[in-house]
Amino acid sequence: MPNILALDTIHTFIGQFHILEGISLEVPEGSITALLGRNGAGKTTTLKSIIGLTPPRKGTVKFDNVDVRGRRAFDIAAMGIGFVPEHRAIFRDLTVLENLKLAERKKGDFEKHQGMIFDLFPDLKRLIKLPGGQLSGGQQQMLAIARVLVPDNRLLLIDEPSEGLAPVIIEQMMEAIRTLTSHVTVLLVEQNFRVASQLADRYYLIDDGKPVQNGKMQDLVQDRATIHKYLGAK
Amino acid sequence: MTFFRSNRTLLITIAVAIIIVFLATRGMSAPTAVSILLSGLTLGSLFFLVASGLSLIFGLMDVLNFAHGSLFMLGAYAGWTIYTNPRLILNTAPLGFALIAGVMLMPIVARKISLPRVARYVAALLAAALVLLSVRDFPLQKLVAFGTTVSGQVVATVDAQESLNAMLTRFALMLVAGIVLSFAWARREKANEETEGTKGTWSRIGAMTGLLVAALVMLFGRDAMEQVVLGTDSNLRFVIALLVGAGTGAGLGALMEFGLIRPLYARPIYQVLLTLGLVFIFDQVVRLVWGPAGAFMQMPGWFANTGKECPAPNLIDWFGLHCDAILVLGRPFPSYRLFIILVGVVMLIGIGALLRGSRLGMIIRAGVQDSAMVEALGINVRRVFTIVFALGAGLAGLGGVVATPFLGVYPGMALEFLLQAFIVVVIGGLGSVPGAALGALVVGLARAYGDQVVLTGIQLPFMTEPFTGSPAIARASTVLIMVIVLLLKPTGLLGKKEG
Repeated sequence: MPNILALDTIHTFIGQFHILEGISLEVPEGSITALLGRNGAGKTTTLKSIIGLTPPRKGTVKFDNVDVRGRRAFDIAAMGIGFVPEHRAIFRDLTVLENLKLAERKKGDFEKHQGMIFDLFPDLKRLIKLPGGQLSGGQQQMLAIARVLVPDNRLLLIDEPSEGLAPVIIEQMMEAIRTLTSHVTVLLVEQNFRVASQLADRYYLIDDGKPVQNGKMQDLVQDRATIHKYLGAK
Repeated sequence: MTFFRSNRTLLITIAVAIIIVFLATRGMSAPTAVSILLSGLTLGSLFFLVASGLSLIFGLMDVLNFAHGSLFMLGAYAGWTIYTNPRLILNTAPLGFALIAGVMLMPIVARKISLPRVARYVAALLAAALVLLSVRDFPLQKLVAFGTTVSGQVVATVDAQESLNAMLTRFALMLVAGIVLSFAWARREKANEETEGTKGTWSRIGAMTGLLVAALVMLFGRDAMEQVVLGTDSNLRFVIALLVGAGTGAGLGALMEFGLIRPLYARPIYQVLLTLGLVFIFDQVVRLVWGPAGAFMQMPGWFANTGKECPAPNLIDWFGLHCDAILVLGRPFPSYRLFIILVGVVMLIGIGALLRGSRLGMIIRAGVQDSAMVEALGINVRRVFTIVFALGAGLAGLGGVVATPFLGVYPGMALEFLLQAFIVVVIGGLGSVPGAALGALVVGLARAYGDQVVLTGIQLPFMTEPFTGSPAIARASTVLIMVIVLLLKPTGLLGKKEG
């Protein structure tokens, strides 16, 4: 299976701080890959480095074998990458419909995909005219994922989708993500190991901005020592 | 019920305002009170035109544009010039167009040639020298001398303007300067950044040609155009002046954002300092070109009738009579000020329609909350920034022209309106256009009432004579209101900015 995304030894700085020191990863098309690590390990920065919000200073970021490092974020996103950030970043003053329509990249994107979106998240149909700020956390997460399904995206970068959500909602959301993989690839950042292990086929573990190990998720689940060492409380 | 809860700040403010207005005007005759109200709305309308752009620009781009008042002033001067005598613009705009057209060549150049650093600095110096050569001994003073600025002296156009040959030489020098400048500016990174493609290149060439053609038309037809403008009915000239003022603001704003502000997005402090520097530069430019004294603008015909039948007894009659004043509750009120109020209301509705009803408006509203997320959705926020900057600047320029028949033009208007606009924006909340309207209303009314207090004094219960203050009281009162609002609601009354 070809790699839809490949990072090669990227170094990202935020101001003076050397956040990512040599991160590499490969995401095969059609898979769900998890990026794991404890708080502050650099997982969000990695996603932001891919989408171009915090561009890496060194290394390459290849999407579909094209190096996108240094391009502006809107250029990278327009190539077919959807970003679902930590804390959802729903536009509070815009209605659910406006949030979705804003995500269109070509006219008619929303019309084309609304069937699929409302099948996955039927609640959104009911809430369609409400301002985003009036949605619950779980509903906002649904909207944030729905948003990146509006245009023709091929890779989704999802950052901590389970954060702050009730277990029942998390189950719904996981079900939705599982259904998605038939036509998009997912790179998932999750601190909740249970969610990550149940969704992802492969994993990359990072600590303090440096790579630790990677492999098949089914192998990591057995390795309690590593899980405790890198994902447990410090 | 939710309507009341979600709009409670707005409703509380309106309630408080009504109570204060009621208390403040007790003891005043009704005609005086209404007169103050209308004057307050007039000032508020002008403040809104300046503040709305300022608020949107800060809300969307985190840029504190100190030069916003200067854009107001430059729009005023541009509109006044074209209304009173356009020869200044007809003789200087072609040079500006030539320079801009030359510089626009840059991305095309950058794709083929990238000079080494030393050569680029030399080219920049050469361009600067050419510009200076082009404007050497330019008869600026004479062009401006058409009676209302330089005291007494009037220089006839035929003596003020240079020969066409001389002007064409200047034009050519400017064009070459612009082209050299584009070579100085061209770097390989710039070529990649503007991924235009062939269609983009052709439209760029088209735009450049258009500019040059417009410039030459202005030069060759300058005498004819001057006569046409001077002979035109004052009302039509006024409409043209409004368009020119708004256009000057928008054009300058776009240039400012693209050339000066964009390169500094990573360094916001320098951005602010730069806009502050522009305030000084624009101030000096205006004093240099038009003189330090300021001038008045002849009232357009629609508001100028002072015959026996005036003041018009009511608004309906005014449409036929075009008097300079209308009787409001028995007292004459200048009709032009009602026009100012109208412009403010129309612009408020227009901006509202743009923000709520168009995709661009949706992008702007989302961008005010989180511009990084908007960019992550694949939208070119950089271009939106330029558009919003230009729109805000255009509003300020329009405001300047609208203000001119009322207040005249003078170099001090930039700082004066900037200050009030800042107060309005802080009171109303950054990034909120309804907030700017509300803040403008509050500040306008406070100023109008304050001015009345200065004029007639208010009778305080424990004093035998009415209390009068210096004119500064009116201005100070608006600062006081701002402080109170900040203490009660730090983000402003309707503030929308995220953290």
